[in-house]
Amino acid sequence: MTTQNQKLKMALTSTPMILIYVIAVFCIVVSIRQPAFLSPATAINIGRAGIFTMCFAICEMVVIISGGIDVSFPAVGCVAMYVPLYLNYHGMLPDNVFAFFGLAMFIGLIFGILNGILVSYLKLPPLIATLATSSIASGGLILALGTREFTTLPPSLEALYRVNLVTYTDAATGFTYPLTILFLVPVALCVVMALVMHFTMLGRGLYAIGGDANAARIAGFNVRLLQFFAYIFCGVAAGATAMIYTTLMHSSTTTALMGDEMIIIAACVVGGCRLTGGHGNVGGTILGVLLITLVQTNLNMLGIPTSWQTFAVGLVLLLGAILTSIQAKRQTKLGKI
Amino acid sequence: MSEPKLTKDRRLPGFLRDTHIVTIIGLMVLVCIIMMILSPSDFFSGKNLVSMIFQFPEYGILAFGMMACMIAGGIDLSLVGIMNLSGVLAALILKNMVQMDGTTVLNPGMVLPALILAIVVAIVVGAACGAFNGFIIGYFGLPAMLVTLCGLQLYTGLAYGITGGPAINGMCDAFKNIANGTIPGTGIPIVLLIFIVVLAAVVFIMKCTVFGHEIYFLGSNAKAAMYSGINTLKVTIMTYMFSGILGGISGILITSHLNSAKSSNGSTYTLLTLLIVVLGGIHPDGGKGRVLGVTLAVLLLQMIANGFSLMHVSQNAKTFANGCLLIAALVLSVVLEKRAEKKAAAAS
Repeated sequence: MTTQNQKLKMALTSTPMILIYVIAVFCIVVSIRQPAFLSPATAINIGRAGIFTMCFAICEMVVIISGGIDVSFPAVGCVAMYVPLYLNYHGMLPDNVFAFFGLAMFIGLIFGILNGILVSYLKLPPLIATLATSSIASGGLILALGTREFTTLPPSLEALYRVNLVTYTDAATGFTYPLTILFLVPVALCVVMALVMHFTMLGRGLYAIGGDANAARIAGFNVRLLQFFAYIFCGVAAGATAMIYTTLMHSSTTTALMGDEMIIIAACVVGGCRLTGGHGNVGGTILGVLLITLVQTNLNMLGIPTSWQTFAVGLVLLLGAILTSIQAKRQTKLGKI
Repeated sequence: MSEPKLTKDRRLPGFLRDTHIVTIIGLMVLVCIIMMILSPSDFFSGKNLVSMIFQFPEYGILAFGMMACMIAGGIDLSLVGIMNLSGVLAALILKNMVQMDGTTVLNPGMVLPALILAIVVAIVVGAACGAFNGFIIGYFGLPAMLVTLCGLQLYTGLAYGITGGPAINGMCDAFKNIANGTIPGTGIPIVLLIFIVVLAAVVFIMKCTVFGHEIYFLGSNAKAAMYSGINTLKVTIMTYMFSGILGGISGILITSHLNSAKSSNGSTYTLLTLLIVVLGGIHPDGGKGRVLGVTLAVLLLQMIANGFSLMHVSQNAKTFANGCLLIAALVLSVVLEKRAEKKAAAAS
């Protein structure tokens, strides 16, 4: 009986459940202040706003689970979104969705390989190594191609932008809220990664090397290869996500994503990924992204001025990190891993 | 020391046996030679020397903060946030206490108290932010990187919230003189004096106090440090507080130098200080490194930056070059470490 109670207690106070409580409370408070919050339009807005946060968070999650960290993805993303449009503008790239996404992912791959070499072969501290990659990517990009801003999309991307999954029309105001087809990308990515992380040797290997690289090596995992995979996956997916960003935002600049790394890492950590590696899952990360997106898009509804948003996000991140640490201590106390 | 003792080495002073320091000195000579070929008249002029002195103290002092944290086995990414927060608060105090009409001060009697209060507040705020970082890291056992990354967001957000976005400009001349003036009659920049005083204090703390040795001990083996009776929580808090104080001093310097305070000043300094510290031979895992190495690395980077700006190369080229240099420095330290291990293995 007591063990059952304990199990129930553990389930009710686990990190994902606490996140769900927080999200519920936040939604209730916002909807009391702003009844307009409770409408399908809000859901569509959050879905739209969360697309790239979600994709980037999955990239970062894989790297964090493998025991590393990647702060270079905003810079890599900027290169991946800028170069294809630049080449297209100068007539060097055909106007084709696959060409754009292909090149973006290829650029991501190159930087992923660079990060992989630095971290897994040269054994450099991941934070410092990816920080260096980040400055090489963003400095090199502006140095080589200059700063421009592309605000008009090539026709093929524009066509992709116009494909919608659902369109909700607000009866009272007449505004339409379209949900783009690209929403399926993070959904598919989440499903695939959840399966990969749980049921394949690759996924279990990533958890193993994050938990204890030495033990994983002795157990027969190829630590270097797995680390390499994590950074390459992060690079490629970040490249594709950056292209999605360009399509949705109608903008491609050399600095559009810079500074986003904090929020993405925040989402992962709040969602239960431990920066020491080996812990975290897709479900928690989705909740983390949901919370961060809610906070980002609805703070002004609570009457908090936008200039305090950076501070609020920092606070959410810090509390999330402290929560994970307390949870970890509690779990070891109860004898569960 | 288990290093093989060579008769040649015994005569050299200790720091010359440190391969990092020799490398930095070599690089400095290289930069000098390159600049001598490219633009000798500009680089070696007295004017250029003075302009270099005005630039490096703000990030040089930040680098010492990063150094202390890294020797203790952590990292402090929130330094730029602390710097801007304390800069903004100092600027606010000055703006409110000293009434200005254009550039003339209406209440000259208030200048000195305002100046002292601003400096004290900046340092105290820096210390408080640092102590907060240290407490969270030590008490909850969270990775320093995560906590200070949160700290960066928090302190930058706080500075941004206080200013509401726009920069605070136009402080009184007395404040501007801290970073832009020279000691009357001698022509020596005041910042150089501040930098030397800070350097002396850092050297004293790291070399001659128990606290300094505890930082090294904590960095080389935190568990052993705990079991040998060191209060690791206290040492962690004090280390980050030390780093925060340096961040506060740097905040005064940068605010005074630019005569403006806002939340996004010096955003490239995080990378720069990391580069300085790694180049200066501080081991990223902690426990190893010398203040001298960091000081020389600060000077080297200032020379490189100065060379770049004399050649009219853009800021982005500098970012790119700094990234490459950081990787090169890291690879170098890995290679040196492997070689030292091999030597030690061969000797034993």
